Amino acid sequence: MAIRLERRLEIPRRLSAAISAFFIVLAIIAASLIFELLSVSSYETLSKILYVFTTPATLLQAVLRGLPLGFAALGLCLAFKMNFWNIGADGQIYMGMMAATGIVLMHVYYELIPPPLVLPAMVFASFFAGGLYCAIPAFLKSRLGVNEILPTLMLNYVAILFVDFLIYGPWRDPKGFGFPLSVPFPEYARLDSFLGHTAYVGFPAAVAVAAVLYGLLQKTTVGFEMRVLGQNVEAAKYAGVRVGRTLLTGSLIAGGLAGVGGLVLVSGIIGRLRPRASPGYGYTAIIIAFLAGLNPWLALPASIFFGGLIVAGDVIQATLNLPFAAVQIFQATIFLMIILGEFFKRYRVRLVK
Amino acid sequence: MAVDEYLVEMSGIVKRFPNVLANDNASFSLRRGEVHALLGENGAGKTTLMNVLYGLYRPDAGEIKVYGKRVEIRSPRDAIRLGIGMVHQQFKLVPVHTVAENVILGIKEAGIILNTKKINQELSKIIESYGWKISPDSKVWQLSAGEKQQVELLKALYRKARILILDEPTSVLTPQEAAVLFQTLRKMAAEGMGVVLITHKLDEVMNVSDRVTVMRQGRTMATKNTKETSIEELVNLMVGKPLVKIKSARQIMEDKPVLEVRNLVVLNDKGLEAVRKVSFKLYRGEILGVAGVSGNGQQELLEAIAGLRKVVSGKVLLDSTDLTNRQPYEIIDAGIAFIPAEALRFSAPDMTVAENLMLKAYRTPEFSKNILINSKKFEARAKELIEKFNIVTPSTRNKAGNLSGGNMQRLVLARELETLPNLRVILGAYPTRGLDIASTENIHRYLVEKSQQGVAVLLVSEELEELMELSDRIMVMYRGEIVGTLSRGQYDTETIGLMMTGVKKVEVQV
Repeated sequence: MAIRLERRLEIPRRLSAAISAFFIVLAIIAASLIFELLSVSSYETLSKILYVFTTPATLLQAVLRGLPLGFAALGLCLAFKMNFWNIGADGQIYMGMMAATGIVLMHVYYELIPPPLVLPAMVFASFFAGGLYCAIPAFLKSRLGVNEILPTLMLNYVAILFVDFLIYGPWRDPKGFGFPLSVPFPEYARLDSFLGHTAYVGFPAAVAVAAVLYGLLQKTTVGFEMRVLGQNVEAAKYAGVRVGRTLLTGSLIAGGLAGVGGLVLVSGIIGRLRPRASPGYGYTAIIIAFLAGLNPWLALPASIFFGGLIVAGDVIQATLNLPFAAVQIFQATIFLMIILGEFFKRYRVRLVK
Repeated sequence: MAVDEYLVEMSGIVKRFPNVLANDNASFSLRRGEVHALLGENGAGKTTLMNVLYGLYRPDAGEIKVYGKRVEIRSPRDAIRLGIGMVHQQFKLVPVHTVAENVILGIKEAGIILNTKKINQELSKIIESYGWKISPDSKVWQLSAGEKQQVELLKALYRKARILILDEPTSVLTPQEAAVLFQTLRKMAAEGMGVVLITHKLDEVMNVSDRVTVMRQGRTMATKNTKETSIEELVNLMVGKPLVKIKSARQIMEDKPVLEVRNLVVLNDKGLEAVRKVSFKLYRGEILGVAGVSGNGQQELLEAIAGLRKVVSGKVLLDSTDLTNRQPYEIIDAGIAFIPAEALRFSAPDMTVAENLMLKAYRTPEFSKNILINSKKFEARAKELIEKFNIVTPSTRNKAGNLSGGNMQRLVLARELETLPNLRVILGAYPTRGLDIASTENIHRYLVEKSQQGVAVLLVSEELEELMELSDRIMVMYRGEIVGTLSRGQYDTETIGLMMTGVKKVEVQV
C-alpha cells in the first residue's frame, strides 16, 4: 500500500465548499483543544472571537489591522502571478516604514518639506523604497539567473536589522527617555488625521489599488506580458516579451505595495517607528495571496479576515490573561488549517496497492 | 485452422481514461510466424491496446487469450513470463552499462552471481544469427539508435519471447537502419515468432507485414491480408474518407534571398557545438526542407534564427538586415515566425485559448492602443482562427492547457501563420509530428499557400516523404553540419538516407 497524491484538474464548487467547511470545523476543534489545554473555556473564547467579526467597532479595527497585510498581499498577487517568489514582503514593509519615517524626520529635524506635502512625500518614498528593495533580487534574477527565493528571504533580516540600527542609533527620539522609538509623527503625517480613522482612507485606497492591479493584469499589454512570464519563461521569451524589463516593473510595483503597507503601519497604526514593528506581516501576506488565488479582489476580504484574527488575538490575550505565545499558537492553528484545506482542494489523496 | 496457431487473441477490449475511450471493443489476433501491422493515426488506440497486452494497463472489459488459454495479465512481469516482449518508442536502456548488462537486467533466472562468459556466448550467438554488429561488451551510450534498438530486440530474444511488440520502431531510424530492422523482423517471423508492428506509416505496412489491423478512434476497423489490400483501402479505413493529395507546383526563386545564414555556430544546452558553420540562403516563396535524424542540430539552428538561442559566431540576415543575436521581439517584428517542435514548451497553459493565439500579436496596434488591450478584437480574431484552423475548444476562454496535443499544434500554427503583422519567413520544426493524416494534409496546404504568397519556409522534419513532397530543395544535416543540398528532381530516399548518416553528397553520387 502506498499513498499517492494526484493533482486535481478541476474542482467542483460544492466539493470546494465542503472541504473549506470541513477544515473550518477542524480549525475550531483544534483551537478549542488548545484553549482547553490552557484551562480556559473554549466556548467563551470562541464567542469572543466571533464577537470581533460581528461588532462594527471591532470589525473596523479588523479592517485597519488588515490594511498593511492587504497592501503587501496585493503586491504579492502580482509578484506570484509573474512566478516571482517574493518571500521578502516583510523586508519591503520595513523599508517602507523606514522611508516614511525618514520623510517625517527630514521635515521635523530640518524642515525640508512643507507640512501639506509631508504625507504625499511619505507615500511616494515608502512605495519606492519597498519597490527598489524588491527590485534588487529581481535584477539579480534577470541578469545573473539568481533564484529569487533566498535573496528576498535574507533581505528581510537585512531590513529588520537596519531599522533596528536606525532606531537604536541616529533616529532615536532625543526626548524619548532613551526608549528605542522615533519621534511621534505630527498630526499631518498621520493617516488617521483625515477622516478620523485610518481605515476610512486606507480601505478605499486598497480597493482602488486592487482595481488598478486587476486592470493592469487583465487589460494591458504589460499585464499580459507579466502573466505570460509567470506561466512559462520560455514561452515569454518566444513571444517576444522583454523578460528583464517586465520582471523589474512587476517587482517594483509588488515591493512598492508592501512598502505602502509599511507606511500604513507607522503612519496609520503605530504613529511612530519602533523596532520589530511588523511581526512577520510579510509572511502572513503570502498566505493571504494564495488563499485569494492571486486574485486582487479576493485578497481584500482575506486580509480583513486575518486582520480580525490579529484583533481577536489581542482581545483574548487581554480578557483571558493568556500569554502572547498562546495567541500565536491559536493563529498558527487557523493558518495551518486553511493551508491544509487549500492543499486538499488542489490534490486528491489516493491509496494505491 | 488449428487453435494453437494463434499466439494471441484479444476480443472486446475496452479501456477508458478520464474523458477518453482509448479502446472501444477492440479485437486483435496474432498468428505464429507472422508480422502483423497495427495501423492507425496517432491517438487511434494502437499503443493502448498493446500496453494492455503487455500488462501496463488493465482493460475495463474484454478477454485475452495467449496460446489459446485465457489469461489475466496484471503486469509486464506476467507478460514476460508468457513470452511477450515489447520494444517501446523510447528505449529503456541504461546508457553506462554494457549490452550484456542491459539484457540481463531484471532477469531473476540469471542468479546473483553472473556467469558472464556463458551469457556473452549466448548473446553472441543470437547477435551472429541475425547478422548484427553489436558486441555484448560495448557500452550502450556508444551505440547508434539502430543498434540500441537491436539491444532491445536482443533483450526479448534472450528472454525467449515468442510474441514481440514494437511501438513505432522506425521513428528514430534512418531508412537504411529501418531496412535492417525489417529484415530482422522477417527472420523472427520465419522462426515462428509473432511480431506486432505498431505504425502509422503505410509503406512500412505494405513492405513488411503479412496481415494488417487498422484502428480508428479506439475501434479495430478491419484486419486484412496485406497482399489483398491497397494503400487506398487502408487510408480509407484509417481516416474514414479518401484523401486528395495536394499538388505543389509553384513558382519560386527570385534572385534575392529573404533569409541568409552565414557560417552559423550555435551551442546546445550542454555547451557543445550543435550547429557548425552552417550557411544557406532561403529565397522568396521557397520551401527549404531540412532532413536529418533529430538531434543533429536542426532544433538549435531554428532557435538561433528565432533569437531564442545565442549565436556564437556567424550571421543571420533578413533582407540583408543583420538579425544576429537580436531580441526575439525584434525578430518577430521583422516577420520571422517559429513553429516549435514542442507546442507546450512555448505556451501559457493556464491562459486562455484566445490569449495563446495572440501570444505574439497582443502588442501590435491592431490589438492594443498604448498599453490597453482591445479585448473585443482579441476575441473576435481568436474566433476566426479557431474556425479556420478547426481548433476544437469549448470557447475562446477555455484554458489552452486543456487542449489535446493536436489542437494545441493547430493553435500554434494558427498563431504563427496568421497573427504576425509582417510575415516573411516561417521556421517550422516538425510541424506535423503527432498529427493525424487529415490535419497533416491541412498543414501542408497552409504552408504551400503561404509560400505561394511569397513567404519563405524553412521546414525541419523527420518524415522524408513530407520533405520530398513539399520542399523545393532539401538540405541534409548531420552532427551540426550541412552534408549537402539536393534540388527537386534529385530526391531519392536512399541518397538522403545515406547523407543522414554523414556520407557527403559527392560520395553518394560516385
